[in-house]
Amino acid sequence: MNEQQQMLADMADGLFAELGPKATVAGHWGRIAEAGLTGLLVSDANGGFGGSWADALLVFRLAGYHALALPLVEAVVAARLSGVLDGLGSLAMRCEGVIDNGAFTGTVGGIAWGRDADYVIAAAPDGGAMLLRRGDATVREGRSIAGEPRDAWVVERAACTPIDGIDVAAIGAFVRVAQSAGALDAALALAVAHVNDRKQFGRPLAKFQAVQQSLATLACEAAAVNCAALAAAMALDARDASYAVAAAKTRAGEAIGEATAIAHQVHGAIGFTEEYGLHPLTRRLWCWRSEFGGDGHWASVLGGRIAAAGPARFWPDLTAIST
Amino acid sequence: MKTFPTEPIVWPDGAAALRAEVRGFLAEHHRHPDPVRRASSWAVPDAAFSRALGEAGYIGMTWPAEYGGHERSALERYIVLEELLAAGAPVGAHWIADRQTGPLLLRYGNEEQRRRWLPGMARGEVYACIGLSEPGAGSDLAAVRTSARREGDDWVINGQKVWTTNAHNAQLMIALVRSEAGSERNAGLSQFLIPMDAPGVTVRPIIDLTGGHDFNEVFLDDVRLPAAALVGVEGDGWKQVTAELSLERSGPERYISSLALLIELIAHAGPDAAEPVRSLIGRAAAQVSTLRLMSATVAARLAAGEDPALAATMVKDLGNSFEQALPHLVQASIEIDTADDTPLAAVLGYLLQVSPSFSLRGGTREILKGIIARGLGLR
Repeated sequence: MNEQQQMLADMADGLFAELGPKATVAGHWGRIAEAGLTGLLVSDANGGFGGSWADALLVFRLAGYHALALPLVEAVVAARLSGVLDGLGSLAMRCEGVIDNGAFTGTVGGIAWGRDADYVIAAAPDGGAMLLRRGDATVREGRSIAGEPRDAWVVERAACTPIDGIDVAAIGAFVRVAQSAGALDAALALAVAHVNDRKQFGRPLAKFQAVQQSLATLACEAAAVNCAALAAAMALDARDASYAVAAAKTRAGEAIGEATAIAHQVHGAIGFTEEYGLHPLTRRLWCWRSEFGGDGHWASVLGGRIAAAGPARFWPDLTAIST
Repeated sequence: MKTFPTEPIVWPDGAAALRAEVRGFLAEHHRHPDPVRRASSWAVPDAAFSRALGEAGYIGMTWPAEYGGHERSALERYIVLEELLAAGAPVGAHWIADRQTGPLLLRYGNEEQRRRWLPGMARGEVYACIGLSEPGAGSDLAAVRTSARREGDDWVINGQKVWTTNAHNAQLMIALVRSEAGSERNAGLSQFLIPMDAPGVTVRPIIDLTGGHDFNEVFLDDVRLPAAALVGVEGDGWKQVTAELSLERSGPERYISSLALLIELIAHAGPDAAEPVRSLIGRAAAQVSTLRLMSATVAARLAAGEDPALAATMVKDLGNSFEQALPHLVQASIEIDTADDTPLAAVLGYLLQVSPSFSLRGGTREILKGIIARGLGLR
């Protein structure tokens, strides 16, 4: 980490720890805007920070670590994809409709905090991506199982701007892997603290070998996701990231299944309560596993691509991710 | 809490050229490899191949030139290793010497030991084995009872080692023995360099459940060694061995054993692979890709002078779990006749049988998880 990245990470860590899972857009978005974080990936010339995807990973991972209940990651990415800082942007996970004469009619769904967004980046019906301004869209509000807004916009003949060369699903998948990397490390930290503190049979749970072995497995899964997230970020910065992102989202999905089960198991009943801080992490992880393509989807995409390339290309293509 | 280093891997200049060079070498020296041989890469000894690698400068790559090394960087060595293993090249003969024994002698050995053994290792002609486990000391390595007793200027070794990979090919063994009579546990242990042709050394094969021969028993009966056979500091054996084991934890060999199976599965599935095999290929590739980057990241941190012991242990635990799970996942997904002689059936059949060893060799899963737990502050 260079000095600038360390400063960025320290700032984000402190701010997100303070805001955390109880933050609201109405009450706290100003703090994010003040810190200039929305412009993290927007060029200097357009008033942003000019950061890389590796910088974004630092920030997104910390947003996940602190279960930040704000559309920070979506706003950062939407600003990057639109290229300018102009209102609050978000990402859509789904799109159904048609574009006719530069106007979109249909529904874009799975928009994080769509009720608060001024514009959204969605996959376009005919491939590529598009920027859609809210205009007079009808907003259908929904909530993820983590309690976060996941809304849909229903629009008729709304002006949309095509964005070339962008795979919204892949970028969204990277974002969720980055958040998951942080949330898994945070769940591990909570679990380690709990088992060192909680005593049964006259000794801390941490002294039981079965508990130790479970937490070692949790740590390994979290480590794998952190490594996969970094690889995807580096690939996004360097070249075609489609392989690295598909691998990372697949690996993250598997890790989330195993790791969240262990984190809850070692916590016992307290981890199942509303007052305790584990569920803001695990409930988000369960959402993120499905968002922008679950591990089944990405495994099939990756497997199809590898099969089509044939066995002789397997190792050369794999090493091309980082070489 | 951060479970894994966040520093990206910075590959050395010329990495792509080196990778291409190794692929060229393999195309010339490793043609038409049998898939079962590929799957057992670092267990297959092939003296001619080891010599060719030595000639090409691919053994002892990071060692000083005065000992026959090539003074390349650790990541250059990593590139060569992962290319050799991915191709399933038969690197078994010199593997332990290159990975462990050479670096150990460079770190702790005396000048005589280095001059006597390292150049031959780097040529791919001298092979090594490691005498750790004993009948009463497996995971509990501190229970070793093989003894070294002083007689004048000499040491006399008595005892028995077991599960000693490569002892039947090796010219030397580095053994961990109790050099202080009456000492307990990890105190009073030392490492000795034992030439395998020394009087009193007897090697007997242990045949594994596939009929293969990697393991041996090594009996040490009044083996007389000069004072200069001590490796490092008398009584520091435990510390030296622990450092040595960390060298063998996170290399590409810890996840790559089942790669040959995955490649045969891709061939079997064809370009229009149907489900569920298509997704299985994708899931396995996601695991392999992640493990490769984890393993390379540890290599990069080691090269930067850090000691990423926890990360290294996690790589081995995850890597072994993956390479062990894959044969069963493949068997669950496709109909296969295990008596068939197709490449897929052959490599699957082989890996189903040998994969139990993956989470035993180099530290059992239970021991590794215990080490990780200690790193997490649980012990």
